[in-house]
Amino acid sequence: MKIIGLAIATALAFVPMLASAHGPTRQKVTITQEVAAPPAEVWAVIGNFQDMSWHPAVHETNGTNGNEIDATRMLTLGEEGGPTIAEVLYKYSDTEKKRSYSYRITAVKVEILPVTNYSSHLTVKPSEDGGSLVEWKGAFYRGYPNNNPPDNLNDAAAIAAVTGIYEAGLAALAEKFATGN
Amino acid sequence: MALRFWIGAAAGSLAAALSFWAVADEAFITNQSSDDVSIIDLDTGETRATVKVGGKPAGIALSPNGAYAYVVSPENKTVSVIDTVNGTIERRITLEGGPLGIAVNPNGERLYVADWYEARIFAIDAKTGEIVARIPVGESPSGLAITPDGALLLSADRDSNQVSLTDTATNKPIATVKTGARPFGITIHEGRAYTADVGSNTVTVIDIAARKKIGTVSTGERPYAVAFAKGKGFVTDQYANTVTVFDMDTLKIIGKIDVGEYPEGIDISVDGARVIVANWFSNTISVINAETLDVIDEYDTGDGPRAFGLFIRETK
Repeated sequence: MKIIGLAIATALAFVPMLASAHGPTRQKVTITQEVAAPPAEVWAVIGNFQDMSWHPAVHETNGTNGNEIDATRMLTLGEEGGPTIAEVLYKYSDTEKKRSYSYRITAVKVEILPVTNYSSHLTVKPSEDGGSLVEWKGAFYRGYPNNNPPDNLNDAAAIAAVTGIYEAGLAALAEKFATGN
Repeated sequence: MALRFWIGAAAGSLAAALSFWAVADEAFITNQSSDDVSIIDLDTGETRATVKVGGKPAGIALSPNGAYAYVVSPENKTVSVIDTVNGTIERRITLEGGPLGIAVNPNGERLYVADWYEARIFAIDAKTGEIVARIPVGESPSGLAITPDGALLLSADRDSNQVSLTDTATNKPIATVKTGARPFGITIHEGRAYTADVGSNTVTVIDIAARKKIGTVSTGERPYAVAFAKGKGFVTDQYANTVTVFDMDTLKIIGKIDVGEYPEGIDISVDGARVIVANWFSNTISVINAETLDVIDEYDTGDGPRAFGLFIRETK
């Protein structure tokens, strides 16, 4: 919910833009989170591209082709009929050595998520104490593809939005595996 | 400086005789997020100097004599002219629009800078920094390359899915050639031009004299740029974290090399033996043996290395 609030708070009405266009400077965000469970258990929760229910902002995941390369999914945010994000899977590994998947957004309104040309990687690694280290990385351009972006579609807005999504998702994941739960 | 001048002025045979003095190339890597340029010794991996540039530097070119590095910062719309020996900014050229890609003609007298936002290329007097022409091309021109004779300037016009060929004598576009979707980097090698087509995961091969497309290579996800060594083409695949290798004659894929995350700028050591790749997300460069296709070294850079252009300098 927090994510949607953030996105809507920063949103105004915008003329639709070419999905391919973007500004000159790509941004990156990396958020890592310790989770108190072995990698296999954490992966069982987040490793299915067709199930994003572990993220509190995601109401529904609808997709095709499972975890095959080029599989797609449509995330509905918040509630039935809420805003959507369309994504495609382009890398997937669920071996013991590497548990990771990579995807990119194929369609989202910048009012919902103020980014363009967004790609992301979700990885689960073993941590030293038998738990897991979950790493969520994103690479993207700001929502406004031309010079002099408005404040709600500039680089800082893009970074803030993606950071908010990652932090909310990973905090919920950690909570799920927290001791005593 | 005196020695450098002397070698530069010497006959080729003398220069060759001196070449046993180990020559370590240097990589000039534009770090977009940390707003600087790393000058990295390719033999030791040491960063010899870090030059503060500002304005989110991305595009890079070196003068033919190696004396200057020209670095393009799209955010503050400048070209910084870096003295490569001292690692200092000698001068800044202020432009307009959204400058990104850059190339220098073979005699070092002209700079060409692509304006990503305004569908044009600035032709600039390298000595005075004066804009001598604005060349209209297709939408979102990105990569630039110049034929070895200096006669033709080629631009990858990303959002027009084409390459524009411009006559450098008149500064007028004279032809276009269709490419795959969203060509970004462009490289000229032995009479051909090669574009990395971000949108279609291809490299388009163009016969420059014939002004036509003669082949296509399939790459990994989101190719960025192409370089050539040992009879092979090397393509950085941004989203796949690989370098796709193809045979220059048959255009067949020879291999995929795992490198760092989001590989972007790519160039070749002066002796043609090594391929250097800037890994934007990993903040490193990967050094590849062009013969065996092994990654032989990985060196640290600043934050967000892009190195879009030709960035290897021969040191003497």
